[in-house]
Amino acid sequence: MSDAPEEIVVVDELVKDFRPGFGLRKKRVLHGISFKVRRGEIFGFVGPNGAGKTTTLKVLMGLIHASGGRASILGHDIGESAYRRHVGFLPENPWFYDHLTGREFLDFYARVAGVGVAGRADRCAELLDRVGLSHAADARLRTYSKGMLQRAGIAQALVHDPSVVFLDEPMSGLDPIGRKEIRDLILRLHTEGKTVLMNTHILSDVEMLCDRVAIIVQGRIRYEGCIGDFLQNEERATDVVLGAVSPDVVEQFETRFEAGVKGRGDRIEFRVAEKHLEEVLRIALDTGAEVKAVTPHRVSLESIFLSAVEAEGAER
Amino acid sequence: MISPQRVSAIATNTVREAIRNKVLYVLLFFALVLISTGVLLSTLSYVERDRILQDVGIAAIRFFGAAMAIFLGVGLIHKEVDRRTIYTVLSKPLSRSEFLLGKYLGLVATLWLQMAVMGVGFAVTSWLSEAPLDAGHAYAIGLAGMEAALLAAVATMFSSFSTPLLSALFSVGIYLVGHLTRDLRELGAASGSEGTATVTSLLHRVLPDLESLNLSIQAVHGLPIAPAEVAFAVLYAVGYSAALLVFATILFQRRDFR
Ligand SMILES: Nc1ncnc2c1ncn2[C@@H]1O[C@H](COP(=O)(O)OP(=O)(O)OP(=O)(O)O)[C@@H](O)[C@H]1O
Ligand SMILES: [Mg+2]
Repeated sequence: MSDAPEEIVVVDELVKDFRPGFGLRKKRVLHGISFKVRRGEIFGFVGPNGAGKTTTLKVLMGLIHASGGRASILGHDIGESAYRRHVGFLPENPWFYDHLTGREFLDFYARVAGVGVAGRADRCAELLDRVGLSHAADARLRTYSKGMLQRAGIAQALVHDPSVVFLDEPMSGLDPIGRKEIRDLILRLHTEGKTVLMNTHILSDVEMLCDRVAIIVQGRIRYEGCIGDFLQNEERATDVVLGAVSPDVVEQFETRFEAGVKGRGDRIEFRVAEKHLEEVLRIALDTGAEVKAVTPHRVSLESIFLSAVEAEGAER
Repeated sequence: MISPQRVSAIATNTVREAIRNKVLYVLLFFALVLISTGVLLSTLSYVERDRILQDVGIAAIRFFGAAMAIFLGVGLIHKEVDRRTIYTVLSKPLSRSEFLLGKYLGLVATLWLQMAVMGVGFAVTSWLSEAPLDAGHAYAIGLAGMEAALLAAVATMFSSFSTPLLSALFSVGIYLVGHLTRDLRELGAASGSEGTATVTSLLHRVLPDLESLNLSIQAVHGLPIAPAEVAFAVLYAVGYSAALLVFATILFQRRDFR
């Protein structure tokens, strides 16, 4: 595939309307979104609940039909199905045939994906090992925990060695160790040169993994580009927790630094802009307050989501 | 275009899922009980012992085949959508028609497996009670298998766009009417009214003629059955099922899985 395009996924003015119930009333879920995923990158598709991330992935996988616009993967229109042997997909909250054992499960997907008999068993065993399920290879999926199912789902997405992998919230429902394991897995895919598109609403995952992101809010793309650039433009702030503060000092913080102080007496909490941090801490120490915690705070994705949602509300 | 490897992967998984489902064994058990109660019933009567025994047996096979075809058929696609297993399967290089065909063939294989077990049960009870067994019985049970396959296609077709409950209602409706269309056509022809005759003969032509797959009377009474008649019935069932599946595929292609 040497002549394959550098732009692996191209989404162009994609529109999706749902018709809830039997009525004719339409609900627009995707308002003409466009973005591009380049070869070899880990692309984060980020947005709050209900933004349309899953809907977009399902359109890309041909599970639902777009109401308008176009999209292509590896230069093929998404209406075709043959190119999907180069694409792996992990759906959101996956659930699988629980009558199968881990090994049978992977073998089934390998057969459906057209993996030949030769080497199929080895491939499945290797993948089970890679996602850490070797010990449960012969147990039925109905006995798997949520984390194990998620990992089985990832193995399923990789069984035919695709060059593009779509992951819908790959870390949801996992404990910190599980999240770390999945992150390592994704990074390994990256070093193997695969293109990864992943849905998430968790900023720290994006920061740790992604090269570029598209931020989607209520069916519209709000930003597309490098995650670093995006965060740099944001004003930084710090959360400060103090103890044993006298009321007049609290008042001073509130008036001079516009810090919304929460709590009182032996534990107060507020947020200040980075440029005021030094002064605030000096005052605190000089007046004999106890500094309990100082946490640098990146204006979280949450607040970007919130401001976007509020802007949306104001438009109406 | 249609890959046998992918279709058979879907079909074998469907069979495997059914085989690992306990409900089917319960149904099978009841069917075998019913078949063997024919022996009990036949001991109550001195005349036509074999006839009663085999009548009950073949009727049980036909009924359970049809019931399981509808019962399993209406959930065939719905279950995959409901459990969201269809998302991963269709994300593979597998077309929706291959998926539907694989599911259907898996269902038919499951039904035939079960009916084969019932057929063996029938043969054993007949043999134990020294009732005659010949090709006629095999034909009758074989055509019962074709009827089940046709009903499975009916149920699959409905379930490709409707809910299981509605699909079950529609399928049972087709099952009941399908056994009456012949009689209706006769009645229509005898009614003397041109309009009625046209309507009933149209119904007979459009709806599945399930009576054409029913050879139990001939088999039980030991009447001669022409192989050509059986072959024609098989062709009819295959053709009708194929048409239903093509229609189901068209409906299935348009669906959004959400
Ligand atoms: N089957 C459906 N019928 C009608 N509306 C739907 C359907 N599925 C999703 N929606 C709507 O589409 C919008 C986008 O949903 P989607 O699942 O794509 O969001 P998401 O970004 O994946 O959210 P989450 O983070 O919760 O997974 C939501 O407003 C949702 O209510
Ligand atoms: Mg989602």
